Amino acid sequence: MSWLPGITTPLAAWFFALLIPLVVFYFLKLRRSRMEIPSLALWRSVIQDQRVNSPFQKFKRNLLLLFQVACLCLLVLAAMQPFVRGDAEQATYLPILIDTSASMAATDAAGQSRLDAAKDEVRDIITNLLSDQRVTLITVSDTAQRMTEFTDNKRVLLDALDSIEVDDVPSRPEEGLQLAQALTRTFQINTVRFYSDGNLPTRPDGAGEPMAVVDFDLPFDLQFHKLDDPAANIGITAFNARKSGEDRWDVFVRVEGSEAAQTAATITLSANGEPVGSPESVVLEAGQSQRLVFRYDSVDAASLQIELTPDGTDSLAADNIAFLELPVSRPLSVFCPTELVAYRHSLEVLDDIELLPQGDEDPNRATYDLVISDSRDDRDREASTYLLTGVVPADLEGVLSVSDGLTSVIDWQRDSSLLQHVQFADLDITDVPSYAAGAEAAEIEQLGYEILAHGDTGPLILQRREGPELSFHLLFHTDRSTLPYRVGFPVLVSNLVGIAKEQANLSDVRGAPTGVLPTLSLDADQEYWIVGPTEKVVSQSSGPDGTLKGISARDVGTYQIQNSGDVVTRVGASLLNPTETSLHGVDRIHFRELTVDASIETASMDRPLWHWLAYAAFAVLLGEWWLFLRRPGGVPV
Amino acid sequence: MPETTTQFTSLLPNDVLARVERMRLNPLKRKTNHSRGEHLSGKGGASTEFADYRDYSPGDDVRYVDWNIFARINHPYLKLYKHEEEMHVVLLVDASRSMQFEGKFDLARQLAAAFGVMGLFNVEKVSAYSCTERAVDPVVLPHCTGRSSMRRLLAFLEELPGGGEFPIEAAIEEVLKRHRGKGVAVVLSDFLTLGDMTRSFNLLHSANLEIFALQILGPTELDPELTGDLRFVDSETNQTLDVSSVGELLGLYHEHREALSNHLAALCRKRQGRFVTMSSEEDIKSVLFDRLLRRGWVR
Repeated sequence: MSWLPGITTPLAAWFFALLIPLVVFYFLKLRRSRMEIPSLALWRSVIQDQRVNSPFQKFKRNLLLLFQVACLCLLVLAAMQPFVRGDAEQATYLPILIDTSASMAATDAAGQSRLDAAKDEVRDIITNLLSDQRVTLITVSDTAQRMTEFTDNKRVLLDALDSIEVDDVPSRPEEGLQLAQALTRTFQINTVRFYSDGNLPTRPDGAGEPMAVVDFDLPFDLQFHKLDDPAANIGITAFNARKSGEDRWDVFVRVEGSEAAQTAATITLSANGEPVGSPESVVLEAGQSQRLVFRYDSVDAASLQIELTPDGTDSLAADNIAFLELPVSRPLSVFCPTELVAYRHSLEVLDDIELLPQGDEDPNRATYDLVISDSRDDRDREASTYLLTGVVPADLEGVLSVSDGLTSVIDWQRDSSLLQHVQFADLDITDVPSYAAGAEAAEIEQLGYEILAHGDTGPLILQRREGPELSFHLLFHTDRSTLPYRVGFPVLVSNLVGIAKEQANLSDVRGAPTGVLPTLSLDADQEYWIVGPTEKVVSQSSGPDGTLKGISARDVGTYQIQNSGDVVTRVGASLLNPTETSLHGVDRIHFRELTVDASIETASMDRPLWHWLAYAAFAVLLGEWWLFLRRPGGVPV
Repeated sequence: MPETTTQFTSLLPNDVLARVERMRLNPLKRKTNHSRGEHLSGKGGASTEFADYRDYSPGDDVRYVDWNIFARINHPYLKLYKHEEEMHVVLLVDASRSMQFEGKFDLARQLAAAFGVMGLFNVEKVSAYSCTERAVDPVVLPHCTGRSSMRRLLAFLEELPGGGEFPIEAAIEEVLKRHRGKGVAVVLSDFLTLGDMTRSFNLLHSANLEIFALQILGPTELDPELTGDLRFVDSETNQTLDVSSVGELLGLYHEHREALSNHLAALCRKRQGRFVTMSSEEDIKSVLFDRLLRRGWVR
C-alpha cells in the first residue's frame, strides 16, 4: 500500500491552467482603495525599509492573490478526487454480504447487536464511496437477498442498509456467495466483503474443533470481516416429545449455554397457554448443555410452548422460546393386504396399530399412515409411508428389470433407520433385479432414490422421499426369499412401523424450526392468510391435494393460518439451532481450494478527500472574503 | 442670563490671550539686536540698572561720567548700565497642503498668534511668514513691534491662506532670504518632507536665530488605524504609493515616525534649539500653559 493518495480523475489537473488567467486578471483588475494622506514621506521610508522588502513581507503583500490561488488549487485538487488508500484493494464493483442469521441479533455488553455493528462499518464504506465505485448490498441468512443494484447512490444504499433486519434462521453463506458469483458474469468483481459473526455451520476437524466448511469455489477475493464476540447467551436448542404411553408424552428440552460465561435460566413449559408442572432452574457452565424432561398427559392435540427466562446476561432473545404441536393420540393405521401373511403376522404383535383390512373387504379409508403392499395399485392409497415389495417403480422400469434366478445381498446400509439390527447375510432371493443395459446406479439416484441394499446384479432395496411421503421399495418379493423366516424380518417390520409413526407424528414430534413451516394438510384449493409473529400477513393457496407448503417463517413465534377471517390452525416456529445459540464464531472459513481468515480489525476502505478539500476551499474563500471586506480606515481631510 | 463676551480674535480665546499677554519667550541664548529693547544685553547699556565702571575714552558720552567719583579722585570713570536690547521673533507657519489635515494648520496659527503676542507685549520685533506654493512669494508680515501691532498680527494670521506644495526646508531658506536680525525662529510645521532639514536648521542657526521647532501631527499620523491594500496619494504632490497589508506595517510606521521626531529633535538640540511634537487635537491651553511652560519655552 502506498502512502501517496490516489487520484480518481487525473484529467481534472488541467484545471490548474486556470491559475494563469487568475494571476493575470488579479493584477489587471487589482483595485486598491485610494486614500489621500498629508505626505508620503513617512510611508515611503516605511516601504523602503529593508524589512518590508523581505521575501516574507512580499509574500504578505499579495495575500488576496494567495488566497485566490489557494482556493483554486484546492478546488482543482477536489475535482481530481484524490483518496487515501485503505487496507482494502480498490474495487470498482464491490458486493457487500451482510450476515443476517439469528446470531447477528446477539448484543454486546453495551446493547449493540452485531448486525448494528456491521451496519456501522458498511455505512462508513458507503459514506466514503468514491465516485467510480459501485456497491451492492446482499443479505445472507439461510437464503440470500440482493437489497440494491450496483449503485453509488448513497441515499439508496443507506436506505437499503437501514432496512436490513435479522432473520431468526441459521446461516448458509453459500447462498450469498453464489449470488455474488452470479454477479461476476455481468460485472468485473475482484473482491467481495463478507460481514459476519463467523457463526457458520461447522463440522469437527481432525482435532475435534469446529471447522466452518463451505462447499464453494471462490472466483473472487473474499474479505471476511468478523464482528466482535458478544456477551454470554443461553437458549433452547431442542424441543421434542415422544409418546411414552397411550395418553402420555415425554417432552424433552435441551438448553445450551454459550462459551462466554456461566449462564442460568428458568424454564417454564406451558400447554395451550396453561403451565405444565413447575418451572425448572438451570445453571450451565460455559459451553455446557442440559437436557430437561417434562411429562405431559393428554390424548388431545396440544400446543406446547417452552419459555426460557434468563437469570443474568443473555445476548440472544430469539432462542428463549420454542413451540411444539402435539397431535391427537391414535393408533397407527396400516394397510396390509391379507395375502402378505408374514407382514400381518409381524404387525399383529405390535402395539398401537390398526391393521387393515380386517376382512376381505377394502376399508376404503381416505388416508393411512402406512401402506404395505405388493401391488403397484396400492401406491395410489394416500399415506405418509409406503413399503412396496416385489414391485419395480414405474419410473425405474427402463433402468431396472427383474428376472428369476438366485441372488443375495452384497451390501446394505446398516445405519439406515429401516435396516437397523437387520442381518441380510446368507439371505437367498429368487427375484433377481438387474440394471438394464448401460444403466448405472447413478441414474437411479438422479431420480431421487437411495439404494439401501445391493445385490449381485442390481439394487434390492430403495428408499425415496417425495415431500412428506416416504416410500421403501423392495425390488424382490419377500415371499420369494428367505427373509420372512429370518429373525431380522420382524425387526424390519418394527423399524418400518417406527418410521411410519414418526412420519405420522404419532411417536416423536419435533419443534418446527424457522425457515419454512412444515407442510400443512388443509382444504384443497383454498386461499389462506398467514399472519406471522410480527403481524406481517401473506396469502398462499393450498394445492389440489390440500397441502399448504413453502410458508416462509423468518421469525420465531406463532403463525396463524386463517381462512375467511377464521383461524384454521396455528404453527409455532422456533430457532432450535445449537450453532446459533452457541454464538461461536469461527476465525477461518474453509473453501474447496483455499482458506479465508477472518479480519477482526476494521479494514479501512479508500477514503475520498475531495470533500475535505472542498471544505478547505470554502474556508479559504471565507478568509478571502473577510480580507476583502476589511475596509481600510480613511483619514478625514 | 449669561454674559456674552466678544472674542478679540478667532484664534485665541480672550482668557488665553490675556494670559499670553503676560508671558514672554524664554530663549536659551541671548540673541538680540542692538536696538533698544527689553532684553538685557551683555554690553553696557542705558537702562537704570547699574552694571559696572570703566575708564573714560575720548568720544564717550560725557553724560555717563560719574561726576561724584571724578570729584573725589579727579579721574573720569564712565558709569555702565545694563543694556536692554530688542529680540526678533520670526514666526514661520507651514501653510502647505499637508498642514490642512485634521486641524494642524489651525493649531499652528493659534500657536503663532500666541508667540507673536508674547513678542509684541515684550517690545520685540515680530515678523511672520507663511509659505504655500514654490512659485509664489511667501506671505509676509513685516516686522512690527509694540502692543499696537497685535491687531495687525492677529488679522494677518487669521487670513493666512493654506494649500500648496512648498516643502518646509525650502520655505525656511526662502524666509531667510528676506529676514535680517537675531532672535528666535518659531517654525510651526508637520516636518513631513522628503527633503533634509539639516541644511535649513544650519541656516537658521547661522542667522543667529534660535530654533523653536514645533511639529504638529494629526491623530491619524500619530496613531493610524489602517488595514488592507491601499493606494496612498500625497496631498501636495499627488504622487501615489501602493501599500499592501497596511495593518502589518503599522508597527514599522511608528518606528519611522518616532525616528523622524528624534532626528529633528537632535538637529535642534545640536544647534541650541528646541523641538517638540504635539497632536493637532491638543488644546491650546494645555500646550501653552502646560507643556511649553514646563519645558521652559516661555515664562
